[in-house]
Amino acid sequence: MLPEFETEIEEPSAVAIESEEERRSRTGRIFSYAVMILIIVVILAPIIPIFIWAFSGRWFYPDLLPEEFSLRAIKYIFSPASKAAEAVLKGGSIALIATLLSLIVGIPAGRAIGLHDFRGKKLVLFLILAPVIVPGLSVLMGIHVAFIRFGLAGTVGGVTLAHLIATTPYVVMVMSSVFSNYDPEFEEQARTLGANVRKTFVHVTFPVIFPGVLVAGMFAFIISWGQYIVTLLISGGKVITVPLLLVNFASGADKPVTAALALLFLAPSIVIILITSKYLTGESAALGGFGA
Amino acid sequence: MTEVLLRGLTKIFHGHEDVLAVNDLDLRITSGQITALLGPSGCGKTTTLKMIAGLLRPTEGDILFEGESIKGVPAEKRGAAMVFQNHLLFPYMSVGENVGFGLKMRGVNKDEMQARVSEMLDLVHLPGYEERRPKQLSGGQSQRVALARALIIGPTVLLLDEPLSNLDAHLRDEMRELILSIQRQLEITTIFVTHDQEESVVLADRIALMFEGVLQQYDEPDSFYERPVSKRAAMFFGGVNFIDGTKEGGHLKSELVDLEVPNVDIPDGPVTLTIRPENLALGVDGKNSVECYIRSHVYVGTHARFKVQIGDAEFEVVGDASSVREFKDGEVVPLIFPTEKIWLVPQEEDAIEDVPEDD
Amino acid sequence: MEKSIPASGIISKTLRFEMFDELRERLHVPMLLLPAMVVIIVLFMGGLIMGLMQSFGYLPMIGKTDFNLNGYINILTDESFLQSLAVTSWIGFASTITATILAIVTALVLRQSMRGKRITTFIYQLNVPVPHIVGAIGIIFLFSQSGLLSRCTTQFGLTQAPADFPPMIYDKYSIGIIMEYVWKTMAFTGVILLAVLQGLGEDYEDVARTLGANGWQRLRYVIIPLLMPGILRSSILVFAFAFGAFEIPFLLGQRYPRALPVLSYEYYHDVDLGFRQEAMATSMIIAGLITILILIYMKLTETYVRSD
Repeated sequence: MLPEFETEIEEPSAVAIESEEERRSRTGRIFSYAVMILIIVVILAPIIPIFIWAFSGRWFYPDLLPEEFSLRAIKYIFSPASKAAEAVLKGGSIALIATLLSLIVGIPAGRAIGLHDFRGKKLVLFLILAPVIVPGLSVLMGIHVAFIRFGLAGTVGGVTLAHLIATTPYVVMVMSSVFSNYDPEFEEQARTLGANVRKTFVHVTFPVIFPGVLVAGMFAFIISWGQYIVTLLISGGKVITVPLLLVNFASGADKPVTAALALLFLAPSIVIILITSKYLTGESAALGGFGA
Repeated sequence: MTEVLLRGLTKIFHGHEDVLAVNDLDLRITSGQITALLGPSGCGKTTTLKMIAGLLRPTEGDILFEGESIKGVPAEKRGAAMVFQNHLLFPYMSVGENVGFGLKMRGVNKDEMQARVSEMLDLVHLPGYEERRPKQLSGGQSQRVALARALIIGPTVLLLDEPLSNLDAHLRDEMRELILSIQRQLEITTIFVTHDQEESVVLADRIALMFEGVLQQYDEPDSFYERPVSKRAAMFFGGVNFIDGTKEGGHLKSELVDLEVPNVDIPDGPVTLTIRPENLALGVDGKNSVECYIRSHVYVGTHARFKVQIGDAEFEVVGDASSVREFKDGEVVPLIFPTEKIWLVPQEEDAIEDVPEDD
Repeated sequence: MEKSIPASGIISKTLRFEMFDELRERLHVPMLLLPAMVVIIVLFMGGLIMGLMQSFGYLPMIGKTDFNLNGYINILTDESFLQSLAVTSWIGFASTITATILAIVTALVLRQSMRGKRITTFIYQLNVPVPHIVGAIGIIFLFSQSGLLSRCTTQFGLTQAPADFPPMIYDKYSIGIIMEYVWKTMAFTGVILLAVLQGLGEDYEDVARTLGANGWQRLRYVIIPLLMPGILRSSILVFAFAFGAFEIPFLLGQRYPRALPVLSYEYYHDVDLGFRQEAMATSMIIAGLITILILIYMKLTETYVRSD
């Protein structure tokens, strides 16, 4: 290990910009700006037509912009005919319950992993990582039979249970990361000052882990909200959530309605991840959006 | 064997505010010389080093190797090899691969590279370390590998960033010996940066002292003790005995004392007298002697440091080991300021206290 | 002098109390883990195990006790399965390699301090929360033969009609699918690499420069090796996803050969229930491959966590 050294605080951040000047030639600079513009264009490109279609009236080939704009698609989405409201309600409540259940089982598990070392930890880590990466379809095709047997297939309860497979590992991952930065001595301190277990949790532990709980909960919600094949398979199409509805519309010919519903589908995801990005950076945040 | 010339070297960093890091630096480093760039944090020494290396571009001024300007030459072509403070051995390469890196970049063939790598490792006293990984090395060892890595390309100039700062006392000596012996052997112009005056004194042929981007004094090490250019420079080297007064010809007149001073090339008027603790003598009467009151002392075995008081001012005197028996706390004894050991510097209004940095 | 104390009663009481405490201590961690583990083991492992059993034709729960390898034999000798395997592998590799190269380039560009860096980095990460289905719909709107891009080419006179525009979705090179994966995962990998680069700083490159390395040499011998752990880790995740996901090939894929996950789903829903075993076998092969990747990933994360 290299010994600790004192970095000379000689140059302010102005140096970063100046050093860049040294390293980049003129062509390098042009290239960099070109790449940055390309990034912006590429990232925004698929989203833009969705926005336009959602608000378009008549738009024929080969026009680059709609002949007329209209709110028809938006109005339709919000009308009972589209079943969108139902889907939002169903999907939203399933997501809420799945989130709650995941948090209840996930927070203690996260604590165990974050704070303790134990035999078989590697196996546990594998069991946490695997459901995130192994495709849900493989798992679900296997368990579907059991769900049918126990009368869970086609029910909201069954779907919620199936969503737990995806949401629980994420919650555990986030919470274990939270707890690995957590100092349990705060609790010991509280106990020596006279707080019992419950009070310690309420007044000491929970406030500290709360941001992590919020993030984990939001991840879980988004994952459940966006589940497609899981819901489709287990419910046999009987439970319609927003993604199912969206795929139905996508296969149809009504582009504006598809686009409008896509925006509706998209909205909570963006809101939630923008909020959580305040608390997470780098790899964990990226992983969270990975399953979206 | 390269002479390095810095001419009017200036560096301004443009950011939220402009920072003048190096201000009109003129420096001539003779070929084969070891030079220290010394100063407190933020004085511009590392910036200067990086400009010589080519990692930063000067705002104004020029840098010449052997009389030729290398200002437009990119870092990879200058042959100015740099050893960084945290060594920065490539973690994914073995020691041998690290050392041979510069040769690989030049397309040297494998056999020759192997031979020279092994030669270099011998030179830094790490024979046979080719297959080791950087992870396995101690701090001192990784620094030697970094040194070998820099030397193998036969650099025109060797640049070192705080070479002794990370090491404990014992390793420091070893490393110092190594750098000195290599430098003498290969006769490479060497420039190193440090904030530690002791480090600069033990290694350098000449020291360039910098404050706030401005060169204060460029001299051999002993001059900074005997003939510092300013009060601040003196303080940076541990000078503690100062008397403010007025110079009139060969005399210094002050509230405390009137002393005869040497004929220093400084105009009459307000000056500050400075003298090293080792050069003051207790208990001797004669020219330039003043009565002082012994406040306290510390006996260090080989010598003793006395804190004495004249009027309101405090001075430190170093005496030999036997002086503890001669002089006791609370006594009033004469203190002599030998004229030839006195040095005068211009009086400064607000001398800045540089916090001494000892690692 | 010894007093007689009813020692046995007190001792046994204390012993029991201590034992209880120790038990509680010992069980503390397993108790914390239990609920989550139950959920995952029952649902996840249970699902996989039952899938495995069904792939062998064995599921006593519904009365099947005929253990055989027919499912596997049938699909492995089936032309359409092998074609699907080829297509899916192609999609996996093409997406991963393209996304990784683009991520490296963008991370190298974005780590510089230049004007516009903050906005670009912000937009760069914007598509991470966008669901894949929405991305796929966007791709359709852009790249279908009557999509936005095709309209542009017609406006510029390069094409006359939708049919003139090269098919990019439902096509045999799975271009649409690959584009969607690249679009989404480029930022995922890029964000990770950017974090690594910013953590490392420019120092290693400075060392290489003073030793004589030019730009390309620095890229090849310094930057890429330093990024390699991050590259490997994210590549594995990207490949696993691109190989095993259902939604995107379902929306953007060609009729034949279908991607493996879609194929297994179709087997599963075949009217003739006789394909059940084949469906399970297919999905087990997918799961097995991906599990191997996970193990490699865990091995890699282990070694590199040490050196961080």
